[in-house]
Amino acid sequence: MTVKIITDSLGDIPAELAEELGITIIPINVIFGSINYRDGVDLTTEQFYDKLASSKLYPATIVPSLGRYADAYDKLAEETGDIAVITNSHRLSASYQTAVMAKERMKKKCRVEVIDSLSAVMAQGLIVTAAAQAAKGGTKLDKVLEITRQSIPRSHSRMAFGTLEYLRRGGRIGKAKTFLGTVLKVSPILGIRDGEVYPFAREHSRAKALDYLYEFADGFTTVERIGVEHATTPDEADELAQRLENRFPGQTIYRSRVSPAVGAHVGPQVLGVAVLGDRD
Amino acid sequence: MAEANSISGKELREMFIAATGWLEKSAADVDALNVFPVPDGDTGTNMLLTMRSSIEESYQAANNSVSEVAQAISRGALIGARGNSGVILSQIWNGLAQGLDEKETMNGADLVECLLLASRTAYNGLSNPVEGTILTVIRDAAEAAKAHAVDVSNDVVSVMEATVEAARESVANTPTLLPVLKDAGVVDAGGQGLYTILEGALHYLKGETDQLKLRRPWMVASSVPLTTRAPQMVGAADEVPYGYCTNFVIKGAELDPEKLRKRLEKKGQSVIVIGDNSAVRVHIHTLDPGDIMHYVNPLGTLHQINIRNMDEQYRDFLEMQKERMPEVDTAIVAVVAGEGLSQVFTSLGTTIIVPGGQTMNPSTKDLLQAVEAVPSEKVIILPNNKNIVLTAEQVPALTKKKIQVVPTRTVPQGVAALLAFDYEADLETNTVNMYQAQAEVRSIEITRAVRATRLGRLDIKKNQAIGFLDGDLVAVGDKTDEVLNEVLERVESDKAEVVTIYYGADTKPAEAEQAAATIRESYPQLQVEIVQGGQPHYNYIASVE
Repeated sequence: MTVKIITDSLGDIPAELAEELGITIIPINVIFGSINYRDGVDLTTEQFYDKLASSKLYPATIVPSLGRYADAYDKLAEETGDIAVITNSHRLSASYQTAVMAKERMKKKCRVEVIDSLSAVMAQGLIVTAAAQAAKGGTKLDKVLEITRQSIPRSHSRMAFGTLEYLRRGGRIGKAKTFLGTVLKVSPILGIRDGEVYPFAREHSRAKALDYLYEFADGFTTVERIGVEHATTPDEADELAQRLENRFPGQTIYRSRVSPAVGAHVGPQVLGVAVLGDRD
Repeated sequence: MAEANSISGKELREMFIAATGWLEKSAADVDALNVFPVPDGDTGTNMLLTMRSSIEESYQAANNSVSEVAQAISRGALIGARGNSGVILSQIWNGLAQGLDEKETMNGADLVECLLLASRTAYNGLSNPVEGTILTVIRDAAEAAKAHAVDVSNDVVSVMEATVEAARESVANTPTLLPVLKDAGVVDAGGQGLYTILEGALHYLKGETDQLKLRRPWMVASSVPLTTRAPQMVGAADEVPYGYCTNFVIKGAELDPEKLRKRLEKKGQSVIVIGDNSAVRVHIHTLDPGDIMHYVNPLGTLHQINIRNMDEQYRDFLEMQKERMPEVDTAIVAVVAGEGLSQVFTSLGTTIIVPGGQTMNPSTKDLLQAVEAVPSEKVIILPNNKNIVLTAEQVPALTKKKIQVVPTRTVPQGVAALLAFDYEADLETNTVNMYQAQAEVRSIEITRAVRATRLGRLDIKKNQAIGFLDGDLVAVGDKTDEVLNEVLERVESDKAEVVTIYYGADTKPAEAEQAAATIRESYPQLQVEIVQGGQPHYNYIASVE
């Protein structure tokens, strides 16, 4: 019996990749005004940013109900006895808490283990894909959990932001609040550290910010998985991916777009890179 | 006091007071001896303020031995040192204190020893001593004193006479040692200041109190033919950083608020005069509130007189800020002038701004107060001006806190350093990263010449716009925006990505917008940002990255 992997849509795993690796993605709710969309299901990234540009409303996000998680567990329990749920950081949303509580609500009998990735965006996505890859290859649940726990401190991401306004409004800004109110036009580089948003650097131009992202990846001595994701600037993402391909020949560079639920907090223009690997 | 063989600690203090008074009379002239035709650090004012701090502290001496008084003088100079010349002066008084250690009185031989130690200490204090400056003057004076004591007389007055004579010749000779002085047709300002102090001391030793009262110090003429006219006097520094905040109301008949305001503007800063011909409210920042009171007293009756020491106000302000400041592991203290620039620095994470810059060099004490006021044990100082770097470097020795100075010499360097600051990196890593970041930015400064001069191949008329690239004068013209463009042409713009222009208090926003538009047109690949810096003196400060 194959171990099944569940995660939430904040991991920014492209739909095709999720399908290929058999990952179940629970969509976070994105609320625009009074309308509730399921992240990536009722609302694509394209549609989301169109709405963001045309609407005066700021979007909000809500973790789905216990029932949704329990339903997902029950559905998978029809084909497996072992489920690993890998959530985004408990310091960013209620996913982890909900996923744990949902175990009590499921109707079927099945072993469900929930792990907090202490992460989000593609850094979460890389942890999940590594676990899914192992599960697909027939690895037992305990080993999958061990692989996941080892991946968590090795998965890092950096994102160049166009604005911190969405992060501030959404209340997820964490320590990056020190970067607010800057008089100069600077590109903040944020990432996640200890499960929350952390300010890593400020660059005085977009070009320098993109260099920073490249150099961040360049600083890894071993690279297991690497991904590039963008919001509204595909050309920049292409260029960064190309540079990384030259730097790490033969390495698959995953390409993704931030999901609407992530977009609601990071705003437009975000460009990110995530690496699962080791640094000195 | 004539023909004294030795002097007491009390006399040493009086000698310092006389010397300081003598220097005060020519501080503005010394200020005018600038190599660059910009208000450049105010050497005379800085030395005077350093001397005043010495005198203040000298009253704290434990007893009247020359040893204790000299220790106190040295301590006062260290804590009150402003500008490069002030710091070097404090090194000289440190040498004096070493020479008088455990001595009750000072004789001629002691004076020689003091001067030699002063010279050595001054040289040792600098990583890169430059000849043709105050350093050369103290060394020449010390050597002459030694020779005189050996060959002629060991009498303290006689030794001092030889010292002053040698100092004068040495000052006159500074242009032959330092080409930049020769080009500008001036002697070294710091050297002139030291000579004046020594001369004032000699007048005191000789009992020439009338001289001290009635005459003014001579400005030494350069011993080499001047390439341009000797500089004309420039007005006194237009900003006095500290003093007394003075408030009162005058009631009377036929008061003329407008006339009063014009008069008071000559006597202080931040002058506010409101009212009518029967009652006028006055607010003024002045170094001499007595003078103001004396002036207004005959105009009517005075009410609600309130005089506060702004030094203390500033201290209180720092205390208040301390309670509001967030707890940070490493704090940043930056020297900045201008409201806009202060906002830029604050918004980028500076913990405390010490007001200051080109003509307002903060003292070591000002920086020390800021360092002590921040709620962290590790502090990085950004001086942001070449005349403040040395002052900042005195601070680490005066506090138990761990201090690193990132020697930023311009505002753009300070901003670049600040952008590289990492909240969680340790002090050393941050210092290295910030040092590297500030070295990568190019700094442009545009101002107007306060007098005519010649520098290298550039002939500069008074009031012309002049442009500096990384501190070197490279362009001159009639319009500030044209000079800005000219300096920009000298930067390898193909490597540049971002130009940030901070326009000064004297530049209109529309003018700055126009200047930015011109640059965008000439360099379409550049990202050009303009920010209201509000800095004094500099029409534009720009960074190229």
